[in-house]
Amino acid sequence: MGDIVDYLSTNSANVQFYAQSHFLLVLYAELIATVIAVVLALVLHTNNLTPPSWSKRIRAGTQETALLVSSALLTVPSLALFGLLQPTLGLGITPAIVGLTLYGIYPVLRNTVAGLSSVDPAVLEAARGIGMGPVRRMVRIQMPLAWPVVLSGIRVSVLIMISIAAVAAIISDLGFGKPLLDGLARLGGAGSFAQVVVGTLGPLVIAAGYEIAFLIVKRLTTPREIRV
Amino acid sequence: MMNRLVEPTTGRVILDGDDVTAVNADQLRRRIGYVIQQVGLFPHMSIGQNIGMVPAMLGWDRKRITARVDELLHLVGMEPSQYRDRYPRQLSGGQQQRVGVARALAADPPVMLMDEPFGAIDPITRERLQDEFLEVQRQVAKTICFVTHDLTEAVKLGDRIAIFRPGGRLAQYDTPDEILTHPADDFVAEFVGGGTAVRRLSLLDLARLQLDDVVVSTGREPAGNYPVLAVDDDERPQRWLHVAECSEPPPLVTIPLSGTVYDAVDAMLNARAPLVLVVDDDGHSRGALRWDALVGDLRARGAGA
Repeated sequence: MGDIVDYLSTNSANVQFYAQSHFLLVLYAELIATVIAVVLALVLHTNNLTPPSWSKRIRAGTQETALLVSSALLTVPSLALFGLLQPTLGLGITPAIVGLTLYGIYPVLRNTVAGLSSVDPAVLEAARGIGMGPVRRMVRIQMPLAWPVVLSGIRVSVLIMISIAAVAAIISDLGFGKPLLDGLARLGGAGSFAQVVVGTLGPLVIAAGYEIAFLIVKRLTTPREIRV
Repeated sequence: MMNRLVEPTTGRVILDGDDVTAVNADQLRRRIGYVIQQVGLFPHMSIGQNIGMVPAMLGWDRKRITARVDELLHLVGMEPSQYRDRYPRQLSGGQQQRVGVARALAADPPVMLMDEPFGAIDPITRERLQDEFLEVQRQVAKTICFVTHDLTEAVKLGDRIAIFRPGGRLAQYDTPDEILTHPADDFVAEFVGGGTAVRRLSLLDLARLQLDDVVVSTGREPAGNYPVLAVDDDERPQRWLHVAECSEPPPLVTIPLSGTVYDAVDAMLNARAPLVLVVDDDGHSRGALRWDALVGDLRARGAGA
């Protein structure tokens, strides 16, 4: 215990950098992943991507395929993925964000598709019947109603990213993965255990910060009547 | 098909002189108030926002929308201050459908399209909504295309009924009275079913009938076959003094002039009286309706007599 306090006091600037970079890595990657996933879900849901002349099975299939591919991405071991990204993207922040983004797409995509299709068809028919165009229907009706589900997808995605971001340190030296890997590499050495503990507990603190942020965002963005 | 949620494959739908397929579908729909069975209120918006949706799309300013929302809530019998800021989930099914009707009326469309609006509502509420619907229709006077599977509802609400046979072919398009009395073919006859004579009674307004004269008592003995009525100082009916063919005067039953023959028959059967007295809004006698006349030949006012 004393070791850890020692480590924190002597390395406070470093720890602050780890925390900041961990937080921002996840934030950037999540923003990109959310944009990709929501846009993909909208395109697949409204199904303007595949020509109507295609058979219904293939059209429905594209949605399944997108979900399948993005879920397959999740199963790639994170250590391997960052290793595989290194030759093309080099070292540093770019491959770290790209890797995290790839992991983050699936939960958001899945929840967005589920959320959009869970909207009561009667509500959408009424919206169409009173003369709301497709864009207005999506923006004013369908998306707001799907939003709580989408948001919980984003939240899951963030949690996944926080844990994987620790691994991203092997190519970027960013985040709490840095002290973790350093400590593990010289386990038994002076202060190595404290490094490992900080590298393990650090992401927990980040996760707690994000959870609080999500609670606030949820309060502010979900209409009172459809809060789940 | 009328508002192009389903595109016609052949034939044309002409609305206000325009072929509906020739105009922008969204513009078209804003001119047609649309009510569906499942109501489809937007659950994340307040009642006020729901009703104000079409006016907002048409670019009305906020004040005008608020005024319109309150006006419509009044029209459908809901107190604006109490309901404007509530959400659809807080309302009962019947209230939701009233809001649905208000939403469809919001931009004062010349035409309304109602697709089984009262289908999913319990019979008691449905009947009340039908009565309110007639009242609303009396005030707004719109062309309403009302889809229903319930012939009683069609007869009650419709000025003209179009009956479609399976396959979507028009079987008969006529007034409710004609449909009940002269079904065009076997299909319509079977659809209309039995009890048409009784159903027709609710189509006959007392105000349109030639009623029997009533003699108001002046203390003299009855003249001829006219029923004799005792009245108080305000000329309000008190009781029958003498009714032909009855040794004892029957109990006095009154029916407002705004009622139908159906109401009159109901009252007669309940009171076991061979005749009812029809009264106006002030409670003054306007004439009598006798059971014999019902079974015999009812005469419309101005015709025959």
